[in-house]
Amino acid sequence: MQRIINVLVQFKNLILYLILLGISLLFINSKSDFHQYKFEKYGLYLSGGLHDFSNNISGYFDLKKENLRLHKENSTLKVLELKSQALPLYTNKTIVTGRFPFRVKNVRVIKNSFQNQRNYLIIDQGSEMGIRPEMAVISAQGILGIVKSVSKHYSNIISILHLDLKINVQLKNKSAFGSLVWTGKDPKKFSLNDVILSSDIKVGDTLITGGMSSYFPLGIPVGQISKVETSPKNGYFKISVELFKDPSQVHYAYVIKNEDIDELKVLKSGIPQ
Amino acid sequence: MNSYTLNTVISFFSFLLLQVFVFNHINFLGTINPMLYLLFLINYRFDQNQTFFIMLGFALGFSIDLLSQTGGAHTIAALTISFFRPFIIKHSFGVISETPKSFQSSPKTLNRFLFLFLIISIHHLIYFVVVYFSWDALYLILKNTFLSSIFSLILILLINSLYRNSDD
Repeated sequence: MQRIINVLVQFKNLILYLILLGISLLFINSKSDFHQYKFEKYGLYLSGGLHDFSNNISGYFDLKKENLRLHKENSTLKVLELKSQALPLYTNKTIVTGRFPFRVKNVRVIKNSFQNQRNYLIIDQGSEMGIRPEMAVISAQGILGIVKSVSKHYSNIISILHLDLKINVQLKNKSAFGSLVWTGKDPKKFSLNDVILSSDIKVGDTLITGGMSSYFPLGIPVGQISKVETSPKNGYFKISVELFKDPSQVHYAYVIKNEDIDELKVLKSGIPQ
Repeated sequence: MNSYTLNTVISFFSFLLLQVFVFNHINFLGTINPMLYLLFLINYRFDQNQTFFIMLGFALGFSIDLLSQTGGAHTIAALTISFFRPFIIKHSFGVISETPKSFQSSPKTLNRFLFLFLIISIHHLIYFVVVYFSWDALYLILKNTFLSSIFSLILILLINSLYRNSDD
């Protein structure tokens, strides 16, 4: 305490000067509008900078929460996107009834392999959250795979980077169908099989999911045709496709639930094989 | 109340009134006004209490601001000069403010001139910076500081020499 008083006494002139300077600044602030405006400007500049700084730091800690919130918001938007993509393509069903049977659930990919010939993904939600086998999984810019098995909290997904998985696709604005299969090396390189020679196909055409599989809604953009070769022997094209988004680099995904899948299954089982 | 204190009080009020009612209305070359009240801050004895001197400087500047309806520029400039006067003295005379007056009886003319020049130019610079308070007016600040400083310096030198002559 004595030392504090000593220091105060030692610097009494400086302290007095600063106090009186503060008083005169208050005085000038109250008397002159110009100076008041100037002080406010500098004060705002200072406080704005400080708030910006603290906001940046606290924003960094909130990133995870913010990501989840955005992901959730995206899943609601994704339904609308899927619907708007599919509506002009479904001939009359959705237009007439306004019904869109697909629902979207946002999930996080916690394991994603792409080195093998038959790859699988694991997502962080399972049967407890309503995930069932045979649901489709898509990413923000393309398709990811199909749910194979579920546990209580996790699900196993057959990646489209799987040599045995064939995805039913069609050309946008053209009525040519085919099935998409991974070539087994580059995760973006696929081949499109079973397209008959009579179809009009060019490099650069966009591929979308076809509605035949009942897993994927119609009209999700998948990729682009990068090379077309004709092989007259068997009457099919040999087409190379490049995906829009590398499926091995996906961290957030959406599981698509078809509410009509039971109905469809009953119908299919009624058809004599 | 000894004669020196009485002298201080009289000179405080006379400089205050002279500045407000005479020297603030000279408007030489349009805008230039000498600040003669600096004479009070210059001639105040060096060996007096510094704390009291700071309060005196503040009071003088504040009174001038009040009476001449200016914002607070005189207050800030006079206060700052009264706070920094010991450092200026040290710089220009090479002595500290506690040196008794007898040692300062015949300072060299150059030292005295340097002291006056530093006090006046620093005071004017602070004054015009506070008045304009904007980077855009940098040229105006420097120009006004320069011209007013010269005017004040000449007047202060003149009056000081008269005063000292009559004193001796």
